Amino acid sequence: MHRLSHPTLIAHPVTLLDPRVKLLSALALLVMVVSCTGVAFPLLAAALGLALCLWLGVPARLILVRFAEPLFIAAVVLLLKTFFSGTDPLFTLHPFGLEIVAHRDGLAEGGAIAARIAGAVAVVAAVGFATPFTDLMAALSWLRVPQGLIDVALFAWRYLFVLFDDAQVVYAAQRNRLGYAGFRRGLRSFGMLAGALVIKAFDTSQTITTAMVQRGYDGNLPLLKHRPFRTGEVAASVLFVAAMGMLRWL
Amino acid sequence: MKKALFMGCWFLALASPAHAMHISEGILPFGWALLWFAVAMPFLAVGLRRLNELSRDDLSMKPLVGLMAAVVFIISCMPIPVPSAGTCSHPCGTGISAILVGPFVSVVIAAVALLIQALLLAHGGLSTLGADIVSMGVVGSFAGWFIFRGMRRVGASLAVAGFLAGLAADWATYLATSGVLAAGVRGSEPFIPLFLKIAVAFIPTQLPLGVLEGAMTAGMVVLLSRKRPDLLVKMRVLRPEEVAA
Repeated sequence: MHRLSHPTLIAHPVTLLDPRVKLLSALALLVMVVSCTGVAFPLLAAALGLALCLWLGVPARLILVRFAEPLFIAAVVLLLKTFFSGTDPLFTLHPFGLEIVAHRDGLAEGGAIAARIAGAVAVVAAVGFATPFTDLMAALSWLRVPQGLIDVALFAWRYLFVLFDDAQVVYAAQRNRLGYAGFRRGLRSFGMLAGALVIKAFDTSQTITTAMVQRGYDGNLPLLKHRPFRTGEVAASVLFVAAMGMLRWL
Repeated sequence: MKKALFMGCWFLALASPAHAMHISEGILPFGWALLWFAVAMPFLAVGLRRLNELSRDDLSMKPLVGLMAAVVFIISCMPIPVPSAGTCSHPCGTGISAILVGPFVSVVIAAVALLIQALLLAHGGLSTLGADIVSMGVVGSFAGWFIFRGMRRVGASLAVAGFLAGLAADWATYLATSGVLAAGVRGSEPFIPLFLKIAVAFIPTQLPLGVLEGAMTAGMVVLLSRKRPDLLVKMRVLRPEEVAA
């Protein structure tokens, strides 16, 4: 869970940009990456995203953890496409006496998918590291994402860490009582842990509703007010997206 | 022998994406990503409308659904060892949310959990959010809900109905994920053989994991019925006379 709670760098120039500008730029870049059939542009986006994460001062270990899973999937897809898809032979391997043929067209298809994964993950990771979650939600609200979805996301975000701490306490107590010694006991303990979390969620929702109603809650959460767009930020963003667009369609 | 070894390696290699649980960012081409968004949107819209109706009568509904989304998030972040695959995987959590708040609101819960995971953990993704909502939110929730309601209607106990609902939600999610993945990455290959390959490849993790999720869902429902039956009555899982009995 510590992977979620990396403090966004408040004073960093990228963090200070308008979240709407960052989100729109990231979404435009994401569309370009996902709609790309080549390898070069998604890899460029991946390099830019990675560089931005490093510039933001995100610890290398956190970046590695964030990228590990999607990049592993990218590698698996690349291997599978190379060896089990396509018709144009590239080279042959003989593991354990078997003949496995790598295909040129499979490699190209797999490479395109792997590059898309790397590029898209880097873009979303960069915007995630550079923008506090509440700012992202305010930007999504400005983009006309339904208020109900934003409210639920904000409640979930607010109580995620509280519930996770509770889960850790229950889990530690169960472990100390050998609750995970053996498969069946572990299963039972896990069910009880999840059930305890649901009960906690119900009770907490009642408590916070009472507290919020006393403070004027009418069913809608107030969101952060956006400052007016700054011309410089918008212009820089448009230029960046246009430049990336030109590179994408070159 | 060699063939068996080869097939084993193939299944384990193909099963690896199952660690991620969701369809990874960028894996689907733009057209497919857009199509799955279009499929997910009506379900999400009905879910939000239902949530707004519920929260007009009861102001605690939105906080409750938010907290349920947090629970689903946490459940789907908990690694469970899957000995047959020598790895860890994790449950979906949509079975229990569909049982408690209904399938449409459960789609909203899944969407929120997936959105947070995509933005902050790189589990799933923004471009694949529509596909993930369809496979985990829509298919998982409806499978779990229909099975639970159906089993209760034919007189099954809470534990049995909960177990089968969790099992169905998990397996249905992975079948849907297989279909979405096969359609998206097939390139020039035919759909059906690739779908079968991916579905079979999920078996080493998902067969036992579905059983684990079923047991977890049953455990949760039974615990709630013992400790807080009032909550199950409030969520219309149990009738008041069942609790009194």
